[in-house]
Amino acid sequence: MINFEHCIRCTICVENCPVFRVNADFPGPKQAGPDAQRFRMEKEKSVDKWVLLCSQCKRCNMACPCGVYPAEIILQAQQRYGLQHPRTLAHLLFANNYYLSALGSLTAPVANKVASTKIGKKIFHAMGITTYIPFPKFSFKTMKNEKKKKSKAVKKVAFFYGCFINFYRPDIGRKIIRLLESFNVDVVLPEQWCCGLPALGNGNLAIARYFAQKNAASLSNYIDAGYDVVYTCTSCGLCLLHDYPGILEISLAKKITENTYDLHEYIIGLIDDGYIEPQFTKVKRKIAYHIPCHLRALGIGYPAAKIMAMIPGLEYEIFDDTCCGLNGSYGFKKTNEETAVQLGTRAVSLIKKTGAENIMADCGSCRMQLGGLSGMDALDPAEIICESLGITEGK
Amino acid sequence: MGLIQHDVIIIGAGVAGLTAGSILVEKGYNVALIAKGEPTACLSTGCIDICSLDHDPLHGVSHLPDEHPYHLVSRAVIRESIEKFKESMVQMGFPYTGSPESNRYVLSALGTFKTTCLVPSTMAAAPQDEKDDLHIITFSGLKDFYPSYITARRKNASFSTYDASASTTMGLATNFEREDFLEKFLSWLEKLNIQEGKIAFPAVLGLESAATITQKIEERLRCKVFEIPTIPPSMPGRRLFNALKDYFRKKGGMIYWSWPVSGVEKTKKIIEAVTTPSEGRPKSLNAKVFILASGSFVGGGLTARRDTIVENIFNLPVFVPGQRDNWFDSDYFSLNHGIGKAGIIVDSSFRPKEADWENVFVCGGILAHTDVLKNGCGHGMALATGYAVAASCMGYIK
Repeated sequence: MINFEHCIRCTICVENCPVFRVNADFPGPKQAGPDAQRFRMEKEKSVDKWVLLCSQCKRCNMACPCGVYPAEIILQAQQRYGLQHPRTLAHLLFANNYYLSALGSLTAPVANKVASTKIGKKIFHAMGITTYIPFPKFSFKTMKNEKKKKSKAVKKVAFFYGCFINFYRPDIGRKIIRLLESFNVDVVLPEQWCCGLPALGNGNLAIARYFAQKNAASLSNYIDAGYDVVYTCTSCGLCLLHDYPGILEISLAKKITENTYDLHEYIIGLIDDGYIEPQFTKVKRKIAYHIPCHLRALGIGYPAAKIMAMIPGLEYEIFDDTCCGLNGSYGFKKTNEETAVQLGTRAVSLIKKTGAENIMADCGSCRMQLGGLSGMDALDPAEIICESLGITEGK
Repeated sequence: MGLIQHDVIIIGAGVAGLTAGSILVEKGYNVALIAKGEPTACLSTGCIDICSLDHDPLHGVSHLPDEHPYHLVSRAVIRESIEKFKESMVQMGFPYTGSPESNRYVLSALGTFKTTCLVPSTMAAAPQDEKDDLHIITFSGLKDFYPSYITARRKNASFSTYDASASTTMGLATNFEREDFLEKFLSWLEKLNIQEGKIAFPAVLGLESAATITQKIEERLRCKVFEIPTIPPSMPGRRLFNALKDYFRKKGGMIYWSWPVSGVEKTKKIIEAVTTPSEGRPKSLNAKVFILASGSFVGGGLTARRDTIVENIFNLPVFVPGQRDNWFDSDYFSLNHGIGKAGIIVDSSFRPKEADWENVFVCGGILAHTDVLKNGCGHGMALATGYAVAASCMGYIK
């Protein structure tokens, strides 16, 4: 994967780097990636603190015409830097986002209240966490207490719902279960943990690997029993498909990647196979479809857009050139606040120019950012599909 | 492989691929475009060279050697492809100036003239001779643009420097998109009290709204304003790419990014599908027709080995300009490098010659005998062959 010698210094990656656009302290993917790589000596302590400014949106990987993966080079440099230097509190907290969120959910009524008060915000700031958009509200009822329906369906799905759905928006998760059930698919919720991406993003390879191994073991059992793994968060998906076999070197990764699908990719597959013929009814909405960077990086095209095209009455426009700027926990760190706000504001202003009524994005963190900065409703594509098919979280 | 997913799959997101794609989508075909990375169009000046061998580019085409792919398309097709391109760029808010009847100049960052044909409206006011007096604006810390190169060549030119707290073309272009920045900059510019007739900028006047930003500066200063193309990161190149890509998608085309082709499924004389590696489950896309628009060496369509040249997707036969010794002229600036002729030789319908496939069509920089630098036909040749290939595809599918 690390083939920095292939770089011809054309700078196409630099043009695609959202952080480079707005933060002069970041030298861009070419310098932080292939250029600096030749100076990174195995035995020397890493000095390139600016690698931490990379948000791992992967846009440079996608843009490179020469097969260099600058983001991967930088990701490795970030892990090395993380290992060799004392970590800030924010980095530590976000690497362990899973436990933090689990705690937040357990104490949701109190935690949400505290988070929205002035003192709560001060505590956040003291920990190096920003509050320019409201911290997402913890949900008391997570996905774990979902009861499984008995089913004899041919198609079987192990649903990897991810932390965002689990701790903040289990209502969307429940809708997705109902949606798949309505397609005559047997849905189970395998035992699962954080995918590991937040830990990687905060330079903590060990924690990321710990989570990944646990997930891989759990998912692997379901795959052996004939289940397909379906994810809904595109960043979880990218981590499962790209980082498990890549930087995390998970031994069961091949099995996982061969059997894991994006939710909408999976639904399109059901339609193509003739397994279902969904009768979409009219949805009168004008939507700006913000493509999460990590969906782009997955290389599966934009499957939700294909479904949107089947829904009568729905108008949508695709935005895939703008990064929302939040990048999971990246933008929540005080050090990255300015970058995140500038990028988010730019993305929102382009969306507002189109006169769209709602924003749609596959990724919870994009929705949080764009919804928070625009004041518009930011929806998951699954919510629109459910609306069109008359599916609610209840039944 | 059951269901046919697409009518046409285009490999490569450059000028040729996107041009062919837009035409096919507009005609109602189901088109997907797959790309490994972004095209070399991003690195270009954004100007459309048709043919620089004569002041009249269409006349220049007749000076080209017989093997040049321009001879596979009629003058009418070249003209139509240019008209179509201009129309679509107007729709995308990035209009072009010029006509295929006469070439024009843009001022280069070295102060020399470069011959081209169509230029973005932001370069329309570039001087066409030595007469115009210029005032150049540059930005402190910008490493990729030195106005002294220009003032050393032109007597009637001077420059001023603005501190925009950004030192890259990308950072500056982002700043110019912000109204508060533009306003502050304009009031600084007004105070300079510029006496010269034209104001020149490195090409950093915005990304999405360059045409309106340039116009705004002209209106406020009441004098002509133009951009000078820079080395990459080149904003006009990116604007061109963005406009072509957004147009394609607006018309209903689908783009798959991060989709390097690793394999091909075929039966007899038909390519059935292309596959991409992906970490696990191989992903494949099938179609009735495949258009190869993967560019030449830098774009990734061709790879030069020690003594041969290969085409990377379908392993098509490649015209190799003799032994390696003939690939490069000893004089770097001579433009007589044999390597410029390398590529795929096609028949009159743009199918690769001496290949087994009947549903593959080839266009753009990967074609043989283009000699783009020598003949000054970059982008123009891509537009014309992309346009022609779309027609061939429609003929084949029908």
